Amino acid sequence: MRASHVIVCTTLSIGALAYVAGSPESPLAARASGMQQPAGTPAPVQATPPGEKDSTRFAIIGDTGTGTSSQYQIGERMTVARQTFPFEFVIMLGDNIYGSERPQDFVTKFEKPYKALLDAKVPFYAALGNHDDPTQRYYKPFNMNGERFYTFTKGNARFFALDSNYMDQPQLKWLDEQLSRAAERWKVAYFHHPLYSSGEKHGSEVDLRTQVEPLFIKYGVDVVFAGHEHFYERIKPQNGIYYFIEGGSAKLRKGDIRKGPLTAAGFDTDFTFILAELGKDAMQFQVLSRNGKPIDSGSLPLAEEPKKAADNKPSSR
Amino acid sequence: MVRTLLVVGLTLVCTDATAQQQKPAVNAVAQEMVDFHKRIDAYMKVRDEATKHLPDVKETGDPAKISGREMALGQAIAKSRATAKPGDVFGAEMSMYLKQALAEDWKSRSPADRKALFEELPQGIKLSVNQVYPTTLPLVSVPAKLLARLPTLPETLEYRLIDRYFLLRDRDANLIVDVLSNVYPTRDR
Repeated sequence: MRASHVIVCTTLSIGALAYVAGSPESPLAARASGMQQPAGTPAPVQATPPGEKDSTRFAIIGDTGTGTSSQYQIGERMTVARQTFPFEFVIMLGDNIYGSERPQDFVTKFEKPYKALLDAKVPFYAALGNHDDPTQRYYKPFNMNGERFYTFTKGNARFFALDSNYMDQPQLKWLDEQLSRAAERWKVAYFHHPLYSSGEKHGSEVDLRTQVEPLFIKYGVDVVFAGHEHFYERIKPQNGIYYFIEGGSAKLRKGDIRKGPLTAAGFDTDFTFILAELGKDAMQFQVLSRNGKPIDSGSLPLAEEPKKAADNKPSSR
Repeated sequence: MVRTLLVVGLTLVCTDATAQQQKPAVNAVAQEMVDFHKRIDAYMKVRDEATKHLPDVKETGDPAKISGREMALGQAIAKSRATAKPGDVFGAEMSMYLKQALAEDWKSRSPADRKALFEELPQGIKLSVNQVYPTTLPLVSVPAKLLARLPTLPETLEYRLIDRYFLLRDRDANLIVDVLSNVYPTRDR
């Protein structure tokens, strides 16, 4: 049985179309749901420093590969944020290179926008989006080891980068096997298409959800990040899993979030990225806009250890 | 006792013989799957032969090497099967099976789901075998539940949907290996 989730929003400075609501079980729900605020021009703030010594810190960006000024601004803001929140790596949620994929596109749509981070040897781990040629998996700076889907370990966490464009049986079998072996404290999955979304343009990927979510539940995946929707959204925990959408790190679909029962927090008026820290008992996260404006933040408790693979029955979570 | 056993034995033999007469010798769909995989294997042999002189794919920081290999791979494969035409790999029976699977999948979807799928699929495209998949178009995700119904392919091959086409695509060569057309209804319906 997984512990109930209490979302603690520690920083809230929300734009005109942004809103934050606690999960139904959250004691903060009533308080947070009334937090819509008019748009303002808050001064940029520094990222919140890490809260724990041996935690795993990373940044999350999605739908990035435009080569536009907004992508560069997010890249610069990430560099600034890293001074106070020294994240070790970045995960990319797909649509890494939009449009043509000529060699120069990799420069203008990836290498230059994140040059300072790449120069600082910050590794990026990409997932494939629907605008990505699968041969991107051979592009060394994306660290995909030539695979459409892959896994890696960082500190106390195991990450699973999936190819949601093509969730075929070999990939599902691989995911089942890898998840069953994962013994890390945190299990984090990321891919392009969101299983839950309040976006008007796309919405939830129900088809994909029927295939992968049972495995997430069975093996106790804790957090899932997706892109595709060009905004930021934090979904109320679903079946004990935290879901985030970050598809607004270079593309933006203003006003696309349709506030509904899924949304814990949403922001669709500016470009954003996420900082996350996986600690001993909780994940701290902070969402910043390209101007450094704090959009959402909180602490999400780690669930109880899932049953071991050998004891895998349908979970009651 | 012996007589009883003989009667039971004869009955079983007769029943089995009757069942064999009534059933086809093999499951037609299973046989077509076998044949389809044979055609896939044949494609892979041609592919391996055509590309054996090309360097192996390795991770590189130079995207020019990746795109150069993709192009060379596509050209070599297309050249070696220059006479390939639609249906050569899918085959007639498998094409019918695939169209049926696509139609059933389509019927199972809600109107909103169908609309969403249509919105994702680019329109006005003309595609043919041995053509490069248009590099400016997104690779629309293939519905996961549909994929679960389709025969598994080698890692280098994949099914794709675009406009009203169902494709077999060589992933590393970005090449259209086979085409099935008119798999979805027209958009005004």
